[in-house]
Amino acid sequence: MIAYYFQRLIEIFPFFLKGLWMTAIISCLGLIFGTILGFIMGVLRSQEVRLFNWPIGIFVSVIRGTPFVVQIFIVFFIFPEWGIQLNAISAAVLALTILGTAFICEIVAGGIKAVPKGQWEASASSGLSIVKQLRLVIIPQALRTILPPLVGQYVLLIKDSSVVSVIGVVELTRVGWLTVVRIPEGLMVFSLVGILYFVISYPLIRLSNGLEKKLSVGQISL
Amino acid sequence: MIKFKDVNKWFGSLHVLQTINMHVKPGEVVVICGPSGSGKSTLIRCINRLEKFQNGELYVDGMPLHNYSINLTKLRAEIGFVFQQFHLYPHMTALENVTLAPIHVRKIKKKEAKEIGMEKLVRVGLGDKASSYPDQLSGGQQQRVAIARGLAMSPKILLFDEPTSALDPEMIGEVLDVMIKLVDEGMTMCVVTHEMGFARQVAHRVIFMDEGQIIETEKPDQFFDNPQTERAALFISKILTH
Repeated sequence: MIAYYFQRLIEIFPFFLKGLWMTAIISCLGLIFGTILGFIMGVLRSQEVRLFNWPIGIFVSVIRGTPFVVQIFIVFFIFPEWGIQLNAISAAVLALTILGTAFICEIVAGGIKAVPKGQWEASASSGLSIVKQLRLVIIPQALRTILPPLVGQYVLLIKDSSVVSVIGVVELTRVGWLTVVRIPEGLMVFSLVGILYFVISYPLIRLSNGLEKKLSVGQISL
Repeated sequence: MIKFKDVNKWFGSLHVLQTINMHVKPGEVVVICGPSGSGKSTLIRCINRLEKFQNGELYVDGMPLHNYSINLTKLRAEIGFVFQQFHLYPHMTALENVTLAPIHVRKIKKKEAKEIGMEKLVRVGLGDKASSYPDQLSGGQQQRVAIARGLAMSPKILLFDEPTSALDPEMIGEVLDVMIKLVDEGMTMCVVTHEMGFARQVAHRVIFMDEGQIIETEKPDQFFDNPQTERAALFISKILTH
């Protein structure tokens, strides 16, 4: 029987690859948008300007303090009530973007704050504008602190993307649920799902570990 | 060149600069000394607006710093600042440290900026270290790169905030030699330092501060040989016996 199920699983493997592709697409879009917005918010948060600080602080706390599944339900089911109609894939990307933004904002703000005050003073004394100070002096140094946890956050985002299956996006986890109805061998099906997640997460885990080692030792030119 | 008129500054309830009146003429070298916490670093940090002050007037190169709407980029481009802890950019080579501001503030072409940068590094005796990163340089070399960085903008004023205090004794000389060379070239300089030999040798005036006030302003010989106040005399005796 197991051999039969295994045979069936191999037959529908392309379906899993499609799910994996969807997972990769929504995760990738979520982390690209999340990184852009997270960097912008992180930079603003690090400046401790009251005007930005408290709304960003509330946003970050709310997103970090509520389950992702609740956030997805709000984006998919409540946003339409406010006139924002989204299909399941767009809702998934938006929810992942919001989640990514909140976490990446904190990582970026922390990295910028870790740059010694003297670097700000030296670059300001040279006459650089604040944007140039950030771009040329502060952020290149902050990246040493930011990059390892940022890549780690990407891994978490990819894994969190499994939650979007609840709104019907046919990504990897959803493919698992659909398959297990036809092949009632849960361990086999979800082991395959797990392996496929691992295949895209593992290189990032290695990258994160590698960056941590490389950036913590010696002088490298970023 | 620099004119303080009744400048006051508070950190919370602490009155760190108390009715400061002083002026520095073009080409003049002024050494500011005094015990820790006397306000001397705060004073020179006001000159390029690293610190704001609450009242009084301060003119630097004709620009009114008490007017908060002044163009800070323009002001700071004319003032070089050398810090106690060097604050070189660790992700850039010595040459990149020196050329950053000329390229991005003065908008000088990269090739030309490199030539200027090399000339400044040669001037501080570090032409062979252009491609070294700060962590590959000794403290004295780092401070000399920091001076070259300050010079690269061809500033009208150079400010030094205890430039030798973080250095091992054997490296102090090399930094002071570069500073003496700058004095000989006619650079306007304000130097916060405890290097009394330097003060006596090259300063045009010595300003002694204590508890946020300027206690004495004298020519070096007069200040060291015949201080007018007890506080200054005590300070000199303490510093010279160390």
